[in-house]
Amino acid sequence: MSDLAIYSPAHGDALAEVSPPLVEGQPSHSKVTDDVAGVTERAVPRAWYVAISISGALTLMLVGMLAHQVNTGVGVWGNNAPVFWGWPITNFVFWVGIGHAGTLISAVLFLFRQRWRTSINRFAEAMTLFAVVCAAIFPVFHVGRVWRAYWLLPLPNSMDMWPNFRSPLLWDVFAVSTYATVSAMFWYVGLIPDLATMRDRAKTPRRRRIFGLLSLGWRGSNRQWRHYEKAYLLLAGLSTPLVLSVHSIVSFDFAVAVIPGWHTTIFPPYFVAGAIFSGFAMVVTLMVILRWVFSLEHLVTMGHLEKMNKIILATGTIVGYAYGIEFFTAWYSGNPYETFVFLNRAMGPYAWAYWTMVSCNVIFPQLFWFKRVRTSIPAMFAISIFVNVGMWFERFVIVTTSLHRDYLPSSWGYFSPTMIDILTFVGTIGLFFTLILLFVRFLPIIAISEVKGAIEADHPAH
Amino acid sequence: MTDPMSEPMTGQKMTGQKMTGQKTTGQKTTGHGMKSPAEGNGPVRKQPLQLGGREHWRSLDQLSGTKEFRGWVEREFPENATELSDPSRRGVLKLMAASLGLAGLTACQRPVEQILPFSRGVEDTIPGKAVYYATSMPLGGVSTGLLVESNDGRPTKIEGNPKHPSSLGACSAYAQASVLGLYDPDRSQAVYRAGNRSSWGDFQAFAGPHFSNAGDGAGLRFLSEPISSPSLEAVRSHVLRKFPKAKWTEYAPLDSGAAKAGSEIAFGQQAGPRLVPRFAYDKADVILSLDHDFLGLDEPTTIPTREFSRRRRVSSEKDSMNRLYMVEAQYSVTGAMADHRLRMRLGDVRRFAEALAAELGLLPPTLRVLNNGQSKEDRWVSALARDLKANTGRCLVVAGPRQPAAVHALTYWINEALGNLGETVSFVETGKAEKPSAEAGRGTNTQPLEELAAEMAAGQVDTLVILGGNPAYNAPADFDFTANLKKVANTIHLGLERDETAVLCQWHLPEAHYLEAWGDGRAHDGTVSLQQPLIQPLYGGKSASELLAMVSSHENLRGYDIVRNYWLARWASSAGEKTWRRCLHDGLVPDTAYTVSRPKVNAKAIRAALKLAPAATSDGIEIGFYPDSGVYDGRFTNNGWLQEAPDPMTKLTWDNAALMSAATASALGVEPGDVVSIEAAGGETMMPVFIQPGHADRSISLALGYGRMQCGQVGQGTGRNAYLIRTAAGSGFLPGAEVRKTGQKHVLASTQEHQSMEGRPLVREATLEDYTEHPNFATEAVEHPPLLSLYEEPSYDQGHQWGMAIDLNSCVGCNACLVACQSENNIPVVGKDEVLRGREMHWIRLDRYYAGDPEDPQAVSQPVNCQQCENAPCENVCPVAATAHSPEGLNDMAYNRCVGTRYCANNCPYKVRRFNFFDFSEGLAEVQKMAFNPNVTVRVRGVMEKCTYCVQRIQEKKIAARADGRPLEDGEIKTACQQTCPAEAIVFGDINDAESRVSKLKAQNRDYAMLGELNTKPRTTYLAKLRNPNPELT
Repeated sequence: MSDLAIYSPAHGDALAEVSPPLVEGQPSHSKVTDDVAGVTERAVPRAWYVAISISGALTLMLVGMLAHQVNTGVGVWGNNAPVFWGWPITNFVFWVGIGHAGTLISAVLFLFRQRWRTSINRFAEAMTLFAVVCAAIFPVFHVGRVWRAYWLLPLPNSMDMWPNFRSPLLWDVFAVSTYATVSAMFWYVGLIPDLATMRDRAKTPRRRRIFGLLSLGWRGSNRQWRHYEKAYLLLAGLSTPLVLSVHSIVSFDFAVAVIPGWHTTIFPPYFVAGAIFSGFAMVVTLMVILRWVFSLEHLVTMGHLEKMNKIILATGTIVGYAYGIEFFTAWYSGNPYETFVFLNRAMGPYAWAYWTMVSCNVIFPQLFWFKRVRTSIPAMFAISIFVNVGMWFERFVIVTTSLHRDYLPSSWGYFSPTMIDILTFVGTIGLFFTLILLFVRFLPIIAISEVKGAIEADHPAH
Repeated sequence: MTDPMSEPMTGQKMTGQKMTGQKTTGQKTTGHGMKSPAEGNGPVRKQPLQLGGREHWRSLDQLSGTKEFRGWVEREFPENATELSDPSRRGVLKLMAASLGLAGLTACQRPVEQILPFSRGVEDTIPGKAVYYATSMPLGGVSTGLLVESNDGRPTKIEGNPKHPSSLGACSAYAQASVLGLYDPDRSQAVYRAGNRSSWGDFQAFAGPHFSNAGDGAGLRFLSEPISSPSLEAVRSHVLRKFPKAKWTEYAPLDSGAAKAGSEIAFGQQAGPRLVPRFAYDKADVILSLDHDFLGLDEPTTIPTREFSRRRRVSSEKDSMNRLYMVEAQYSVTGAMADHRLRMRLGDVRRFAEALAAELGLLPPTLRVLNNGQSKEDRWVSALARDLKANTGRCLVVAGPRQPAAVHALTYWINEALGNLGETVSFVETGKAEKPSAEAGRGTNTQPLEELAAEMAAGQVDTLVILGGNPAYNAPADFDFTANLKKVANTIHLGLERDETAVLCQWHLPEAHYLEAWGDGRAHDGTVSLQQPLIQPLYGGKSASELLAMVSSHENLRGYDIVRNYWLARWASSAGEKTWRRCLHDGLVPDTAYTVSRPKVNAKAIRAALKLAPAATSDGIEIGFYPDSGVYDGRFTNNGWLQEAPDPMTKLTWDNAALMSAATASALGVEPGDVVSIEAAGGETMMPVFIQPGHADRSISLALGYGRMQCGQVGQGTGRNAYLIRTAAGSGFLPGAEVRKTGQKHVLASTQEHQSMEGRPLVREATLEDYTEHPNFATEAVEHPPLLSLYEEPSYDQGHQWGMAIDLNSCVGCNACLVACQSENNIPVVGKDEVLRGREMHWIRLDRYYAGDPEDPQAVSQPVNCQQCENAPCENVCPVAATAHSPEGLNDMAYNRCVGTRYCANNCPYKVRRFNFFDFSEGLAEVQKMAFNPNVTVRVRGVMEKCTYCVQRIQEKKIAARADGRPLEDGEIKTACQQTCPAEAIVFGDINDAESRVSKLKAQNRDYAMLGELNTKPRTTYLAKLRNPNPELT
């Protein structure tokens, strides 16, 4: 593994083998700071205003859609009997999956000392948080009585009622809220040295005050660094099981049910792989745009993108294997209901969705076996979009095709979304991009201090 | 005794002061509930919500119309005096709103005296405890005895009267839903004159001089629905005596005219008492039905279902059961129950009957060959004939109302030849049971609708009084009734709705609903049932008797007096009052059944009639006309429960359609949802196509009752009108229709989109023969691994453990349970758009599956309610524990804990959970809310709901038993679905009691748990279905 570069935060490390540099062009430390922090300090480009007005409008639309739904009832969506969960839960799982790349890049790759993560981890973490925000909207608003949704929390109450700890939905509440909390903390702790840099560079008192407040008195002393790196390591350790747990538990929403197509033990690993797959695809999609817009090609190099594409290839293959093995299990189990569900997926009324999913998730990512494809910006952009679409369809296929034809043929039905469904989902995309745009405008999108460490590691002789 | 009109007046005088207490307390309280046997308890007033109470005050006024009294009224209720002296529609509505809105208030300025709070306890009333009254509902010329639950003066739930011969405790979906019709805000609420609002006072001012000047009534005509009410008949005789030249027409679009005409052919009694056949389905081992949907829509009562199902009850493999052969065009529920079903065009049924008669030696053997002698039909006829002959005296041949009189006559002959007369078939004299003298008068003064229409067209009718019914909508198309109606100078219409007829008439008068009016009627066997109102007329309606009294004697006679005096005159005076009360309490007058006659069939006349009747034409497409399972003949079009109750076979809601076989559709080049134009007999109608598997080829079935032009909000715009092409001669079916595609599309809302069981063991079925060989076939149908649970399972062996057994062998799938459940449990109506989205709310549904040849399949029906699983998949996935198990094994639902994640519904393998996607109870008029059962929560939007095994009924009986200090008896608690099931297919009870009926049923070898292999341990189990095919035909 030529590109296995080991990074030890404590020692500045010398074990790194000869490998392509993680940062191109050997920029000086001040250049890195200028390049990254400068994005937030320079005049706001007009394109940003255009972009945020579009995404802001979509966010307002989201607010409108949710208000309409709360005011009128869940019936404004296409959910019906037997598909009681339709798009909202599909969207929830989709967004949570997107959020997966952040923790993986931040925590797992950190623990595995994959130093190439440094250029992308900040952004991936931010993306995680924003995706979780989008995700959280759906389970909250999809309940029939939103104003009672807090009953899912184990709050003391006069009824002396606990929530039902046997319900996977309750596990979800804990899993997602823990994940959101830890991700936010991890992200913020990682931001502290860079916030201090921003404070130090601030030209206006207001910036100085805000960044001063946010950087929690960071001075960059040796002792602070030592505590910081310990804390970061601990948080990484804390987050790592979450990478596995969140999506495992989200998958329990389905796996614990008795519905054929849901009731299957393969779901936890399958969901985790799928989540990483979709998360990385989203990172690639966004990074390709950002590094171009903000001229950060030397910090987010082709090497980074290629590594992410390799992960997409690997997880995509796992997902494809899972699709296959589901059919095998359905046949091998001899359970007629199970067999039916999978045949129905591939050949029933939702076959179009199933084959969209298979081609997007299994066929297109296989092109990454070719280095030419893997390192071509247009190709990887297109494939990452396919994966995003495909993974949305995967969740749609799981939620809808399993429900629409379950045990009693008398109750079979067909689900189609309403305009409100579609606009609500588009609205969350708007919200996601609004948050991303605000982030790139006001905070350093690349971990300045860590990149500097990576430059050091590129030149162990230093 | 012969002049009922003089009696009410004397009756009134006679009762005078003595009756003060009762008069002031409103009419209905003179009735005596099943639950309050104490009689005549002074000023009893069971309704705190006394709606439109002016009758009550008027009678007081009448009684004590002194100056002092008026002065007292003014002093006591100064505002009100004017309010009540001018009974306008607005006034009634205001009072109604006030009495509802101000029920709990005392400080308002509205006329609060309408509210009689129970501050001083009324004897025999326990607040919150329902009272039951016996009454009866007329439909299709037959009165069905009912027990109506009244909560604080509001009738809320209809049940069959167990003592009543037309009910035996069960009742149809129509009867169940009629309570919703009572509270329909679209019902006619005011008198209209030439389209403008008027009042009863105006009408009286018109009617008084008008009918006084009517002389002998030469231009006076009356048109009513078929009358089975003795008291109304007496009033009619009085009217016809007063106007000797007036004539009376009875018309209903659906009637048993063919059966009666058949008996006239067979027994030749044109002038004498009409003989009507009565079939004893429970005595027949072999039944052949020629297009007679006796388990479904062709019988006004549920009695045939009750009798038939008795012979489908099998307790072990040693038992026997009856065998049913069905010959029909449309797939009916009777066809679905049949052991052998032959799909055949309606026009060919006659040939089939003749072939059978020939096979039995009644007709020349030349008629024996149906097709080529080798066809399925031919084999069928000979096997059938042998089977019938082998069961002489224990078989039965019946014909449906669409078949011509000659076919009916032929079936009577066949029955006679098979020795069934006096055994499974008897003939009753409908005309002779009461007052032959009145009957005699009737003959000369009656005329068929055809004659009336001709007279109207010729301008010979000066005044037409229409008592109920909607002839402008449903009269035969060739009579051109609507146009002729405009030629009548004075038209008066009494009706429940401001319908197509009402808007064409000069006067429209609101009719009292049967739950608002006094009356009586005859059961299918002639037994007289009394019709006792449960509530004052909400909108000031009057009954037909009251209107007739008004126009003939210019008297404001009350329906109560008319009915009561009619009957008191018939009983010895000493026992009269007591008998009256007894009859009111029981709901029927004993010993009033029709007398059974033993006529001899006139074979010659039948042969002649068969020769006269036109031969069936085989070319073209034939159109059959059927009652609709929801709206009947159009009278229930504005009833949301019935509109949304899926048709038992097509599962269509909110629409009718042109039902045809797939072969017919492909021959016509149409697909489901295509709108076709059907031209026949000079009329045209448009209908969407629906493919009905098992339908006869080259035949189309249309349900009547849709496409109303003048209808309330609910029924407006539903379905298409089939009456447009229904003629007098073709009231059953019309041959030779022109059908063509229009290019339009219409979306039909069906509650079941998939019709096959996909080979899954959901409804388990075997032939009787297989059952004898494999008694455990039902449980052996599924192999599964040992069923283990992740959690420690609670043992449900203490106390009551509720369970249900549903016998699929008796269930005919008639929808009565579905509507009963809707009424009992305040289940909302969601509308066609929501049904299309699969959001209907029924807690019990009837799954109907087809099996076998797609062109000619067998059908089964399976009621599915919450199975109350012991290992309920819904329970462990609810994050807020809103659905949990009770110690009695019920899967309870706490609505106010539910936040609506809908996970439970996803995880329910039986898909019986229903979600309130919207606030389905929003926007109900106040009057509609009166139909709610106060013991069941009305669910808000965003919560899940489902069958509770009628937990409110369980609790009520448990409390009653504990209060009495006695153990609960088996069968004391009846769920709403069980209570009304005409087939007695649903049995509920304590499975912890080995002696209970439900335990015994569950111990049978046919008992199985649907999807039991999932280890859900459902408390509802099914008894497998059996069929009893003829070995010769298998």
